[in-house]
Amino acid sequence: MGMVSSLLPHLINGLALGLLFALIALGFTLIVSVMEVINLAHGSLFALGAYIAMVIISPDLVMLGAAGELYGDLPLAVRYVIALVLAPLVIAVIGFGLEILLRRTYGKKKEYGLLLTFGAALVFEEAIRLVWGPAERVLPVPPGITGGFIFNGMIYSNYRIYAMVFGAAAIGVVWLFLNRTPYGAIIKAGAHDDEMVRALGINLPRLRMLVFGFGAALAAVAGIILTPIWGLRPHVGVDATIPAFLIIVLGGIGSFWGAVFAGLLVGLVVGITGAYASDWSILSMYILLIVVLTFRSRGLLGKKTALEL
Amino acid sequence: MPKHTLAAASLLSLAAVMTASVALAQDAKPIIIGITSDASGQYANSGAEDRRGMQMAIDEFNAKGGVLGRPIETVFVDTETTPATGSRVAERMITRDGAAFLIGAVSSGVANAVSQVAQKYGVIYLNTNSSSPTESGKDCHLTKFVWDGNGTNFAIATTKAAIEEMGKDWLLITNDYGWGHDTSAANRKLAEANGATIIKEILVPQGTRDFTSVLIDLQTVNPDVVAAAVGGDDLKALRTQVADLNMGEQFGWINNQQDWADVYGLPKTNLFGVFGTTWYYKLDLPGVADFVAKYQAAYPDTQMKVPGNVFFNGYWATRSLLEAVERAGTTNNHAVIKELEQLRIPAAVRMQDDDAYMNPKTHQMQQTVYLATANLASDDPDDLFKILGHSTPDAVVDAGAEAACKLESFEDTPVYEP
Repeated sequence: MGMVSSLLPHLINGLALGLLFALIALGFTLIVSVMEVINLAHGSLFALGAYIAMVIISPDLVMLGAAGELYGDLPLAVRYVIALVLAPLVIAVIGFGLEILLRRTYGKKKEYGLLLTFGAALVFEEAIRLVWGPAERVLPVPPGITGGFIFNGMIYSNYRIYAMVFGAAAIGVVWLFLNRTPYGAIIKAGAHDDEMVRALGINLPRLRMLVFGFGAALAAVAGIILTPIWGLRPHVGVDATIPAFLIIVLGGIGSFWGAVFAGLLVGLVVGITGAYASDWSILSMYILLIVVLTFRSRGLLGKKTALEL
Repeated sequence: MPKHTLAAASLLSLAAVMTASVALAQDAKPIIIGITSDASGQYANSGAEDRRGMQMAIDEFNAKGGVLGRPIETVFVDTETTPATGSRVAERMITRDGAAFLIGAVSSGVANAVSQVAQKYGVIYLNTNSSSPTESGKDCHLTKFVWDGNGTNFAIATTKAAIEEMGKDWLLITNDYGWGHDTSAANRKLAEANGATIIKEILVPQGTRDFTSVLIDLQTVNPDVVAAAVGGDDLKALRTQVADLNMGEQFGWINNQQDWADVYGLPKTNLFGVFGTTWYYKLDLPGVADFVAKYQAAYPDTQMKVPGNVFFNGYWATRSLLEAVERAGTTNNHAVIKELEQLRIPAAVRMQDDDAYMNPKTHQMQQTVYLATANLASDDPDDLFKILGHSTPDAVVDAGAEAACKLESFEDTPVYEP
């Protein structure tokens, strides 16, 4: 009983962490599976989304005049929800622009796309630094989801529970979109066979642009949810890109549930290692990746290759 | 005038002009300072503050015509909070850029790496802001000078008071790299010497953003005092998460040294616990107000509206070096090292409560250490610290450093005179 009660908080922590990792990886895996582009700017879009949300929640009201006064009188919770909707839309538009730039690399070596998104990541990070400076900033969150509560003699963070529930809901919404809407069907078809999708008369360039924008918006959502825990600074995106990449490889490139399951697994491993061998907590996710890929090179739920069929 | 006389006179004049030009060119040859500073990674913010301090000192000297009649130029490459990059950058600055001196560090790992390269070539290196006790201990070098207080200095300043006020059961949180380990070792040694018991030590890898498992551990272990040797962005994340759970009041927190860049911009409620610093912009001492005004005039657009300890150390290290070169009358490294070893700065000039002096045996600047906590009484968002007291340099001296430090001899250090 003693061991169970001491393990329980770490299991809950691991699960929460896993859902957050899965949220980070969602947008990344969507772009990889449909467009076969590894978007190294994912982390920068994650950061940029959080910064834009910060501005929307706490704008320079003096500049906005009378409208600013009205907006400033709105409760923080309302401004937070507005930011949660608007900031991803702004990032989606930036995602559209990035996809248009990427078009010249289609059909050419994959490295060109990789380099372009890497360059974009550097540009976004420097732009953040130029506009908001290098110092740590704070993304305000409604007071109702801050603080802690006591359960079984331990303090748990309200915000972490909120982030966990939000992450699960976001995963659910994305799944519903992909599997219960015609647009989702088109996206999945595009991931499976883009030539056939084109042959069926679907505008493939537009599809790719929308998918990229959607993936970018998901990165922004993840940034808004996670930066109150991780801190908001220009290079916080690096903290997102590496786990995202690891999770989609671990889960199997192109697999939605692979990314979710891998995110949960990484979260649990990191959380429990943090409890019993804290100096190994970050290393544990890389060891997990090596072990899984050694025995299953396509990842946990990746598609079989022609050699394996 | 006969033609041959005219020709001879012309040739002599031309020779004189050419000689003068060469002499002038040599005199005007700039002194290049290599800035080895982090612009990315865990200590990016502190690196930026450090550079501002160095630059303000350099600008002051250039406004007076430079040093020894030579203008000062800088070359800067990001050391990325990574020791391997630090080595590479130092090597490049010395062999390709012709750096006369190297200045700058926040990460002790980077500082150690840079100093090894500097010693190899005989280049004087100023470790402006890294705080591992080993920098002036086992990793000391004849060419290296350390300008910040170290983990042992701050531990001495905070430990005894913490045991008396908060309790004897201690838990250590340690950033899993050089500075973290050395600082926690210093905390452990002092705590145990004063009757405390270290009930657990939790290692936290660099780059940790989620401290939930650490906070769960704290609640399970329930110590009296938590001594955190965590720095940079990791510390910011820890503070944010502790404050969110209101755990700042649940335990007695000691954060050893608190760098200004690591807390500037955070809510004051995140600044729980007691910590050390070497300087604060609101010290009621001569020169402080003017120094702050100079900073604000030099950097009106920076997010950091007031300077902190990291800027202070970067400024004083650079200024002291350039003054030493002037006193020595040469850039010869041996001569400048001897000047720096005798350095003593009066309190009124230094803007601290006590005179500061260079320990010639360890090459660490001995200076006042201030004890501080969050200033919750002030509405000024920049007025983050409440200074609780201070210790003189002699009261916080790192007694083990002199035994651990084996400086190279001058004979074993290459002569370098850029």
